[in-house]
Amino acid sequence: MQTNFSRQSKHQLGWTGRITARVIRHLQQAIGSLGDLWRTPFTSVMTVLVLGISLTLPATLHLFVKNTQMVTEQWNSASEITLFLKLSTADKSAQNLVQRIKLYPEVENVVYISAEQALTEFKVSSGFGQALEYLDENPLPATLLVTPSKRFSQVQAARELLLKLEQERGVDQGKLDLEWLTRLQAMAALIEDVVIAIAVLLCLSVVLIIGNTIRLAILNQKDAIAVMKLVGATDSFIQRPFLYAGVWYGVLGGFVASICVAILASYISGALGQLTDLYQSQFVLSGLSFAELMVLQLLAIGLGLLGSFISVRQHIRAIEPTAD
Amino acid sequence: MIRFNNVSKTYPGGFLALKQVSFAIAAGEMAFLTGHSGAGKSTLLKLMSMMEKPSAGSIEINGSELSTIKYQQIPYVRRGIGMIFQNHNLLLDRTVFDNVALPLIIEGYSHKETRKRVEAALDKVHLSSKLKCFPNMLSGGEQQRVGIARAIVNKPPILLADEPTGNLDPKLSLDIIRLFEEFNDMGVSVLIATHDLGLIARMKYRTLTLKQGHMITDGIVDGLQAAGDLSAN
Repeated sequence: MQTNFSRQSKHQLGWTGRITARVIRHLQQAIGSLGDLWRTPFTSVMTVLVLGISLTLPATLHLFVKNTQMVTEQWNSASEITLFLKLSTADKSAQNLVQRIKLYPEVENVVYISAEQALTEFKVSSGFGQALEYLDENPLPATLLVTPSKRFSQVQAARELLLKLEQERGVDQGKLDLEWLTRLQAMAALIEDVVIAIAVLLCLSVVLIIGNTIRLAILNQKDAIAVMKLVGATDSFIQRPFLYAGVWYGVLGGFVASICVAILASYISGALGQLTDLYQSQFVLSGLSFAELMVLQLLAIGLGLLGSFISVRQHIRAIEPTAD
Repeated sequence: MIRFNNVSKTYPGGFLALKQVSFAIAAGEMAFLTGHSGAGKSTLLKLMSMMEKPSAGSIEINGSELSTIKYQQIPYVRRGIGMIFQNHNLLLDRTVFDNVALPLIIEGYSHKETRKRVEAALDKVHLSSKLKCFPNMLSGGEQQRVGIARAIVNKPPILLADEPTGNLDPKLSLDIIRLFEEFNDMGVSVLIATHDLGLIARMKYRTLTLKQGHMITDGIVDGLQAAGDLSAN
């Protein structure tokens, strides 16, 4: 029997060797903790699914808010200003006014509707066609439909443009019906706040779920942890596999959430397509972008790490070796 | 290397387990610690391995003062003490190799160096062929030797053994003690807690005898003398 057991041969690694050994040790512990999850498939799958579903809800709500914003922006840019001209305004003066307004940098397009055209349309749309025949003169004014350019289609800019246009000679009054849009935007903002509150609560639940799962894993390995402490393991060494387990839960939970959101978006998109077809709308549901998917994944990893960190800090220090 | 100076330990509830115990074990010395159950042997070992803190007095191990040690420093002091337990304290879900390698992994040794040292330690305890076995595939004596290999693999300057021969037959017990003697020959301080007075009598080493928390004898005694000391006091 021959050994190289001798106190004088204590192996000392250089700093590069120590860093390499540390990196390898981290990799081993990371892979080892993935193996631990694999060895407890039922618990691991259940935890990952709970995390995935918990993250799916806020991600889907985010998708809802994002698409609502896109829709309201579309409506915003389509807003028009209606200018009613004075009854005394001659057709030629009205045409001159159209040319003047077209030169405004804030204006993209102007459509002139003469008093006669307006009456004809009203006869058709109102159903009072025959009654209107008895009128001695046309009571409707000529109208200009002004479409602001994209930069000036926002609520405040459109309001300022309306005030400017109302100063034009020949204009009796102007109308910008944005009340409904303001209400819609307020409602969207409220929904966004509610979504943020729900997201925070669900993220908190993710942290608690992972924290509890890691707590159970720590308690399951209580004896092994005590032995490790006896042979000189630091708390950070013992914590590492549990922290990596939290990260893995985050990675897998985030992946499940991404798939669930994609499936939900695809499902809703079909139903929404049928609805928008009825309104001849070109609206297409926008899914999560690559950057948003990355944010979701990082958020899931961060929450996993936070949950496991809270748990290991609380429980590993409390485990002390005993001689029994 | 190990120095106890007027160390007392009182447990919650007022039980005084050790009363003003003082002794020193020099580097490279081997000694036995004996006494009846409840005499304070386990408390003394727990104090040395920092499982407990002294209520009074000071304990110095490898130059570190344990009564004032910070929590974060404890693992580093423990790395300088090889601990062997009667119940072995092995990780049952890991192989013999992994159990013995644990202190080296914790200290961050390279894979190559870890393998070399583990093989050497297992060779020392005659378990080279059991590298890939799990602890529950081994006999009690083999498990004890795995525990010893784990305790010596990182070459600590101190070995503490709590009833290392408790469940072993006399021949195996003597083999284990011979192993400790080999480590002691390499300069390792060894303290063996045992109530096997026959073993103490055969080995003729310094013996610390505890009774009801007091150190009643400290010196080279034979088994009969130790037994007499215990009953007389």
